Amino acid sequence: MQRRLSQEDAAFQQRMRDFFTTEVPADLRERWAAGGEPDPDDMRASQRALNKADLAVPHWPAEFGGQDWTMLQRHIYLQEMQAASVPPPLAFNANMVGPVIAAFGSQAQKERFLPPTANLDIWWCQGFSEPDAGSDLASLRTTAVKDGDEWVVNGQKTWTTLGQHADWIFALVRTDPDAPKKQMGISFLLIEMSSPGVTVRPIQLIDGGHEVNEVFFDNVRVPADHLVGEVNKGWDYAKFLLGNERVGVAPVGSIKRRLADAKQYAAAVQTEHGTLLEDPLLAARIAELEAQVMALELTVLRVAANSREGKPDPASSILKLRGSQLQQDVLELIVDIAGPAGLDWSTDDWEGLAAPTYLNFRKASIYGGSNEVQRQVISSGILGLRG
Amino acid sequence: MDFSIDTEQKALRDAARELASRRAPQHGEGDVPVGPAPHDADTWSALAEVGALGLPFAEDVGGFGASAVEVSLVATELGKAGVRTAYADALIAGSLLATAGSDLLESVTDGSALVVPAMAEPDRAWSITTSSVTAEGADDSWKLTGEKSPVPYADAASHVVVPASVEGGLAIFLVEGPTAAGGGVTFDGTAATLLIGPDNGAAALSQAINLGIVTLCAEALGAMEGASTMTVEYLKTRKQFGVPLMSFQTLTQRAADMYVSLELARSTALFAAMAISDDPSDSTTASRAKVVVGQSGRHIGQESIQLHGGIGMTAEYAVGHLVTRLTAIERTFGDTRQHLASLASTLSDHEQVDILS
Ligand SMILES: Cc1cc2nc3c(=O)[nH]c(=O)nc-3n(C[C@H](O)[C@H](O)[C@H](O)COP(=O)(O)OP(=O)(O)OC[C@H]3O[C@@H](n4cnc5c(N)ncnc54)[C@H](O)[C@@H]3O)c2cc1C
Repeated sequence: MQRRLSQEDAAFQQRMRDFFTTEVPADLRERWAAGGEPDPDDMRASQRALNKADLAVPHWPAEFGGQDWTMLQRHIYLQEMQAASVPPPLAFNANMVGPVIAAFGSQAQKERFLPPTANLDIWWCQGFSEPDAGSDLASLRTTAVKDGDEWVVNGQKTWTTLGQHADWIFALVRTDPDAPKKQMGISFLLIEMSSPGVTVRPIQLIDGGHEVNEVFFDNVRVPADHLVGEVNKGWDYAKFLLGNERVGVAPVGSIKRRLADAKQYAAAVQTEHGTLLEDPLLAARIAELEAQVMALELTVLRVAANSREGKPDPASSILKLRGSQLQQDVLELIVDIAGPAGLDWSTDDWEGLAAPTYLNFRKASIYGGSNEVQRQVISSGILGLRG
Repeated sequence: MDFSIDTEQKALRDAARELASRRAPQHGEGDVPVGPAPHDADTWSALAEVGALGLPFAEDVGGFGASAVEVSLVATELGKAGVRTAYADALIAGSLLATAGSDLLESVTDGSALVVPAMAEPDRAWSITTSSVTAEGADDSWKLTGEKSPVPYADAASHVVVPASVEGGLAIFLVEGPTAAGGGVTFDGTAATLLIGPDNGAAALSQAINLGIVTLCAEALGAMEGASTMTVEYLKTRKQFGVPLMSFQTLTQRAADMYVSLELARSTALFAAMAISDDPSDSTTASRAKVVVGQSGRHIGQESIQLHGGIGMTAEYAVGHLVTRLTAIERTFGDTRQHLASLASTLSDHEQVDILS
């Protein structure tokens, strides 16, 4: 065991900090830090700046822009990026479809898709969930039927995050309705959003934003070579995609940034006896959150260090579960600090954004495998409790 | 102690229920309003028609001589249907007008005037004992200076009631035709009428807030009941893995916990309404109720969305709007922390909590 960062890692940390705070434009970082609906141009600008410095997709294979970093270094990279409020590389590109194409795609697919995916020249969205296939993803019904050298796709996806900005969607589709198990007849298909027959309908969320959409496919024709890997093996790729993220599932850097912001906000609110930061009840809550976030960060580091390269690790469920809870706790704290000022949603300062942001992040315990599903993974996968 | 309601109260509740179902917001596909709701004049006159606006005030000052219990019955129905109004705000203003013996109260109870309190201040935690808005003057000529923000419904209000610092403490003023901007009201030597002087200002304000708290607790109770009912229904009908969600015990046990929270909040909110009817100055009970209802609302609100999954996050579905309202209620008229702090400061006043004396 060793407590401190090695000299090499400390230098790495400094390098990251310098890059994020000087090379990514401050106005863009400020807009990101403020919250609210993300600006797609800011996201593109940020990812391109990162990619130019080979920092957009460090966990990809080296030939496609990856870096040979340790898990600790990846953690430091994410931590520093979040601390500086740099818009992160689009998760659908960097963490989801990119690694799948890199691991299972054809050479032609890799060459065609990976460079623009790393640079956000292609904006991807994720077409997995359907109205009747949420937690039970394998019951999805969108079909793809082979017709000559094309697939013909029919069905509906939902909850498609940022689909309104997307150029392409990576979708799970049913290619063998007669497979003995429903997981076995699913394929992983890349579909251009501009294809005839694709329709996007925005869904409004309770904070008023429109980050999610329904996507409809009506006889959409997709070239056969847009299928990734083998036909009917899509479930394996989806599991790889959802499960191989050990570093980054818990947004520790963002949580710490928000908690630091919360302290600043509290220090600026006057009470009858000083400021809110000096209020014993509020101060105790912040202190408790700081201790809990420390425990989470330490666990992130411990899990990262022990990770089994390339294999899904059930311990990532701990990080997803606790990460989403603490993220929600901190946002709840900020609404409480805003107090009566949080009742007015019409301003776009932190007080006006506090309540909508809090409501919006109730999503964190629902998407990407709900917290109930994570507990299920822990109880059956780790504890062996298969009742 | 008796929690049952009599025939007259039942009739009032039914009228409120009918009103609420007619005025309930519709959510469907496409965009709908989210967040704080603007004042709706039609709902307001409907409330005036069933006599809801004057319920807790004595007849000789223009009210209907009922109590906070009747107010609670109405507020619960509004909360359940998701009808958001200035009800609690207007009752606070009305209570202050009643204490002052102001003629304006009659226009408040018949719905022709909308009077709301202006209390929150920028960059200050909620407080009912201090105000950075100041008043200067004497007799019939007073002027206010400073800012109150946010002031919900200020843009629709005919008057605002404003606590302001004067020599000797806190006094309560009335301002006609407030100029609302940016969600608040700014006073710049603004002419105001003195309603209650510093001798009684803080005490009268505290009583008025107690009535507002009891009203909000009842509205929250309705919203919690609405959200819980929808969640239970959803667990019965939504299928995943080929079975209804209620097949997963982890979910049904949590629905049971929500029900426990709901019923504890119900007991407390109803008790607080009775207590405030008996003794309008019982801030301790009001604070305890605000804490219990705040925590229950948080629990039930968060679980309602979680157990619904993605659909609970959408503006097309009612449950999220109820959660939005619960979130706002918890931070209105003092949040959980602030009420806990005031309770904590009086612990040595009593040996144990006595509800039957
Ligand atoms: C804001 C947001 C963005 C999203 N973005 C995307 C996206 O870009 N692409 C995409 O494909 N999907 C996306 N999703 C979908 C997300 O992955 C699903 O919402 C999630 O899988 C849950 O499915 P559901 O909403 O249908 O809820 P359901 O599966 O119906 O679940 C309802 C409740 O039941 C619980 N539950 C379900 N099954 C079990 C069980 N077996 N045991 C115990 N409890 C259970 C759940 O945890 C939840 O509490 C997004 C969702 C949201 C809210």
